[in-house]
Amino acid sequence: MTLLELKNLKKYFATQKAVDDISLKVEQGQIFGLLGPNGAGKTTLIRMITGIFYPDEGQIIFDGKKFDPIKDVEYIGYMPEERGLYKKMKIGEQTMYLAQLKGLKKADALAKIKQWFIKFEMEGWWNKKVEDLSKGMSQKLQFVTTVLHNPKLIILDEPFSGLDPVNSNLIKDEIYNLAKNGATIIFSTHRMEQVEEICDHIALVNKGSIILDGTVAKVKQDFKENLFSIGADQMPAVNGETPFDIVGTKAEKNIVRIKEGRSSNDVLQYLLQNGAQINSFNEILPSLNDIFIKLVEGTPAARQFQKV
Amino acid sequence: MNKIWLIIKREYLTRVRKKTFIISTLLFPLLYLGLIFGMGFIAEKSKQNLKVAVIDKSGYFTDENIAYQNSIDDNSTLKLVKDSAESVIADYKAQGYDGYIVIPPINWKEGYDSLFFNSNKSYGSAVKAPIEAKLNRIWSGIKNDSLRIDTEKQTILTKTLTVTAKNLEDEKANANTAEGIGYVAGFLIYFILLIYGSQVMMGVMEEKTNRSAEVIVSSVKPFQMMLGKILGIGLVALTQFLLWIAFVLIVYNVGKATGGDMASSIVGGIQNMFTSVNVPLVLFCFGFYFLAGFFFYSALYGAIGSAANEDMREAQSLAFPVTMLVIISIALMTAAIKDPTGPIAVWASIIPFSSPIVMMARIPYGVPGTVPWWQLGLSMAFLILGFMFTVWFAGKIYRIGILMYGKKPSWKEMIKWAFRKN
Repeated sequence: MTLLELKNLKKYFATQKAVDDISLKVEQGQIFGLLGPNGAGKTTLIRMITGIFYPDEGQIIFDGKKFDPIKDVEYIGYMPEERGLYKKMKIGEQTMYLAQLKGLKKADALAKIKQWFIKFEMEGWWNKKVEDLSKGMSQKLQFVTTVLHNPKLIILDEPFSGLDPVNSNLIKDEIYNLAKNGATIIFSTHRMEQVEEICDHIALVNKGSIILDGTVAKVKQDFKENLFSIGADQMPAVNGETPFDIVGTKAEKNIVRIKEGRSSNDVLQYLLQNGAQINSFNEILPSLNDIFIKLVEGTPAARQFQKV
Repeated sequence: MNKIWLIIKREYLTRVRKKTFIISTLLFPLLYLGLIFGMGFIAEKSKQNLKVAVIDKSGYFTDENIAYQNSIDDNSTLKLVKDSAESVIADYKAQGYDGYIVIPPINWKEGYDSLFFNSNKSYGSAVKAPIEAKLNRIWSGIKNDSLRIDTEKQTILTKTLTVTAKNLEDEKANANTAEGIGYVAGFLIYFILLIYGSQVMMGVMEEKTNRSAEVIVSSVKPFQMMLGKILGIGLVALTQFLLWIAFVLIVYNVGKATGGDMASSIVGGIQNMFTSVNVPLVLFCFGFYFLAGFFFYSALYGAIGSAANEDMREAQSLAFPVTMLVIISIALMTAAIKDPTGPIAVWASIIPFSSPIVMMARIPYGVPGTVPWWQLGLSMAFLILGFMFTVWFAGKIYRIGILMYGKKPSWKEMIKWAFRKN
């Protein structure tokens, strides 16, 4: 089931086509990675999905209906990249306030907050102020305030920045949990290793348009370069007959590229016939990082101003 | 609506519970009284007592008439010098004088308008005027003697005619009390507009800077957020004001019960106010102009807070035109109090930006005696329209400004935001 569908969304600012004709589908229960370099238009896109901005053109379909920026915000949890909490306010009151703004009744809010505070070992924080928290602690608090009202759609902008590995894992497990219980998660980041680990599906945005959209596995297949790593003793010499070229070595293994029209079986056969002792044979798939750099490369590091 | 209520509650409670609110509520009346009494005290203490040599070449001045003036007026002491004039001029310091005045051989029938108080320092009118007054009293005595005007005739000559403005439609009106109340009410509104207006500005800036605005606008509309903040802070100001009224009433009742010297003068003042001024009307109008004026200005301050970045100086430079309007209002108020029915007073109390301060200064003079009902009604209607406009205008700017980081917009750009579609 599709939870969120964007159809030809456009948002132009005075000097930028921030979002220029983006269409996307996010399925329910998916962990969706929204990637892109700085200034690609991710934040503008997210702000339209959270009802902060209205699109100039295009449609947002949320849960089968046209998105209503006033009512539907109760089903959305948004954690912006820049953490925003009132420094002077007590943590308990602040969490209560944000939960009530999302439409929770006081008693429900209190019960939910207690539950989450126990889960994240934050029970002792109730009367502390936000300014007393470390960066990582306030990050955890922000995460709790984002998911407290059981949103159908959770949008997380760089949720791990500033967290130590232990707390990172805590949040990561919680993200899996939420997805398993039916929540849909849009995860915006530049950290590719996290995307590879967590996301099912990714979309890469650059200069306000989608340049790549698919499952992580499919994207990797699409960008593979027929590279294999071979660990073998008595590696035969390479000549015109060999079905592969050696492109390098890494950790005493040869990195080879299979020639056009040949298969991995050809390679193995050739090696065996020539008396090689094979210890390992692995396909090398490109990392998302490589794909990202390859696709975005050549784009100026800073987005230029443009005429709209 | 429910969400605005939540925002109002947060804004109100976080402010009222702060120690600074309690302290400022208690300290402001004390500081106000301290300022009034302190000024008099400082003026009394800083009086300079100089010793002035009067070198008389006219022969009219005598030791007796100078000694008499010194005895009735303890400002700078005069000392007549007749023979040793040259040595005093040459070295007045060594002889213990702070300065000297040379009176040339003049005739009692003609005055003389170029006497000099010679000394080695620059003295202002606070020092010069008492010396001048003393010399003139002696001079009057000399003229009276020469013209043979006795004490009885002198008394007759000092009698003058006094005119007091009296309003036939409002016999009780007392211009002095009205002026006092007008000043206090006008200045209170002035302080409230500036202090609480800038609180709105700082509050909005805080939300923008610590990025909580982005979290909040994903739950409520920016307009609700701004309105909640203005109403919440308005309630804080109202609370503080009600506490002050309670403070005055307590002083009044305690003063009446104990009947001390100082207390009775305060009680008398308040009683005088109750008899000569329509207190319920003044209080009602004060409440109205205070709230409506606050909405009018705080919406503008809120818009400025949303447009500025972390930098306080940016906010101040954007806020300058708005603060100027408040200050101009105070200048118009002083003119209006001197002439509460003149054209400046009438117009300034009807035009929205200055009406909260100027109208409040006029109302104690009497409605409808000084301020006809139509003027009051028109002024209130315009102020309501005025704050509806500024709130609408500010809402437009706020919606864009609160999520905009980077360059500070100019007023021209902000006005463009307000009139942009979508």
